[in-house]
Amino acid sequence: MKAKNTERMRVTRLLALVAVFIVALGAVCLAAPTRAEALEVKSTTARPNEDGGDRVIGGLPTRLTWEGTVGEDEELTSISLTMPEGGTFEGSSTRVTVLDGLNRQNVDSVATPAGTALQVVFDEPIPAGSLVRLEVTGVAFPNADGDYTIEGTYENQLGEQALPSSPAISVIQNTPVQGLVNWLDQQPWVEAWNSNPFLNMFFKPQILVSSFASLFPGWLVCLAIVLVAYPFAILLGLCFAFMKMSKFVVVRAIAVTYINILRGTPLFLQIYIAFFGLPMLGIQINVYILGCAVMAINSSAYLAEIFRAGIQSIPVGQYEAAASLGMGHMRTMVSIILPQTIRRVLPTVTSDFITSYKDTSLLSSVGVMELMMYAKNMTAITGNITPYMTAAIFYLIVTLPLIKLITLVEGRIARSESGQGPRPKGGTVSAEDVELDYAQDALAQAAHAEALPDPELSRPVFVPLAREGA
Amino acid sequence: MKWSTTEGAGVQPKSKHLFLALFCSMLAVFCVAVMAGCGGQAAEPAATEETQTEEPAVTELKTIEDGKLIVQSDLAYAPMEYVPEGKTSEDAEGFEVDLVNAIAEKLGLTVEWQQVQFDTIIPAVKQGGTVDMGASSFTITDERLEEIDFSDSYMDSNQGIVMTKAAAAEIPGFDASQDVAGTERLDAVKSVLDVAGVKVAVQSGTTGEAWSQENLTNAETVPLADAIQCLTGLQSGLYNAVIADYPVMAYYCQESYADLEVVAAIPTGEQYGLVISKDNPALTEAVNKALAELQEDGTLTELENKWFGSAS
Repeated sequence: MKAKNTERMRVTRLLALVAVFIVALGAVCLAAPTRAEALEVKSTTARPNEDGGDRVIGGLPTRLTWEGTVGEDEELTSISLTMPEGGTFEGSSTRVTVLDGLNRQNVDSVATPAGTALQVVFDEPIPAGSLVRLEVTGVAFPNADGDYTIEGTYENQLGEQALPSSPAISVIQNTPVQGLVNWLDQQPWVEAWNSNPFLNMFFKPQILVSSFASLFPGWLVCLAIVLVAYPFAILLGLCFAFMKMSKFVVVRAIAVTYINILRGTPLFLQIYIAFFGLPMLGIQINVYILGCAVMAINSSAYLAEIFRAGIQSIPVGQYEAAASLGMGHMRTMVSIILPQTIRRVLPTVTSDFITSYKDTSLLSSVGVMELMMYAKNMTAITGNITPYMTAAIFYLIVTLPLIKLITLVEGRIARSESGQGPRPKGGTVSAEDVELDYAQDALAQAAHAEALPDPELSRPVFVPLAREGA
Repeated sequence: MKWSTTEGAGVQPKSKHLFLALFCSMLAVFCVAVMAGCGGQAAEPAATEETQTEEPAVTELKTIEDGKLIVQSDLAYAPMEYVPEGKTSEDAEGFEVDLVNAIAEKLGLTVEWQQVQFDTIIPAVKQGGTVDMGASSFTITDERLEEIDFSDSYMDSNQGIVMTKAAAAEIPGFDASQDVAGTERLDAVKSVLDVAGVKVAVQSGTTGEAWSQENLTNAETVPLADAIQCLTGLQSGLYNAVIADYPVMAYYCQESYADLEVVAAIPTGEQYGLVISKDNPALTEAVNKALAELQEDGTLTELENKWFGSAS
């Protein structure tokens, strides 16, 4: 347009032509590289540097990945990136990748970090259409919440150009946990501790601190799974325990098959079948619910056996006594047998609970985000075993008190079952001697009950009535 | 009921003893560990002195067991490294397996392949003492270089996104006839994956995992033990996509998983290297020399043709 206009005016104003021509030329020169055909920023991202988390924390080293494609009429000779005020490229290393489609091109380059600036100069101009990736390891963003963009310039055959705006990277301020980790980094005793390869690999203080914070949600998931699953396991277990003691062969057969198959195969296998098999049948269930279901079903088989043994260990005399009072089978079970059974099986059930709680770790193999999964991820990122040690501590927080509880409960039951319930201290009878005798009797009865399940046939010689503790 | 009576009698004193015993044993383990560590430190200078006196100039090639190169790999990444059906890790096959065997032959060593989980290899090599080399399609990255040394690169690679064919057909703007490496395809796939609720399966500790975490920030990245588990999970509908090395994904989609396809390639241009401890520079040097020789005599090209043939 401009050219035609000037042509018409040529006759009248020669001087104006020269002026306009110069302006037009300048505009073309400026417009060409910065418009459609210019270098395009494909993405700028930062690697999450929160230990065990997925956020980018300011003020701590991370990796910046910058990607751009060279415009169609361009030849790229250098790129300069600028970090927002407060961030730094200092001490970073840069990996440069140039690609034509999927094929890597060998281009040598020199990267010079200086404060908030990074300059990358290529040994040879990068041809049009190539993808350039800069992976800058060891950069730090400003230590304040916010979305930051990487600005900069680049040079093509025509000179220096401004980089088009790139997507923002959201950064969070340093967390208290990370602050503590950084403080530990500077302590001489921590350094001395970490200079020992074993302590460094298994008990690195910095990772211990950060993993405690980041493993916590995984621990809650573990607890939630087992606490939701266990009541169902107990109900199912009771159900199958009664089925196994049923008079009907078919019912017994069903219970025996269920219990034997579940007890006879590894939990790991059951998890695999549930998590990979069911979806293939078109059944889609939330992984957490499915996890609870598998844990409950697995545990129920063990509990069924525990309950059955518990019920059958109750002396026949108890049934007879109940019958002599005119109680029916149902009533006998509910008010006489089961209360005693619960007391007897409590320690074994607690043991099974501990096993179930620990076994939730197997769910990590199918992608349930529980304690072991978090620990595994952190170990993968840090290359250090410490997160596993933290996981061990999290397991022990629950299991140690429970183990202690079992010991206490066992002691109580032992005393009350043998007629040695709580009494004033300083008794003259040696408790151990008496209890040993009673233990042998109780054992003999239990064996008897196992061998002859029919209460009518087994006539115990000695029937101690369980005494409720005062 | 044996458990109730016999143990019950001595509950109080026993549990105290137990705690004391536990405490003592932990203390003992701790002391041993510290001493082991100190011993290690004390022994180190002596060892270097010895080597200095015996071989003043040349640092001799040393492996953990003389004449043996112990190599760890996940061996579930065909055609790079895998165990054929019904065989053990001794009969591992693949491009990288052939390559490492060829290198070992040049160095006069026999290779012992150990199958371990991918994300434990670098820590094991760094820790030292049990393994000489990690060969499991490791991309050379600056983060990893802080932990261990890499040999020179022997192959270039990219990342690939795998989805089920059914899901791929529903991606808006997706055209299977387009170039797999095209940006249009990648952008279209990215737009359906970078959404809350989407699950992307990756192998734990891989560059694919890092890419997913960094570029699909709205999706959930699920790290699993190996690539097979990722693909099986994708097939059964547990995950929406899998991101892993392109050549491997292309191979699996073609050979084993007919209902899956590589929906887009992510041009990352990464390079594979062999992982060697920083404490064993002699081995790195020897491996690099052998690699250069294999490149020169055409063995490397031959292996590429054998394993990737028409694909590349």
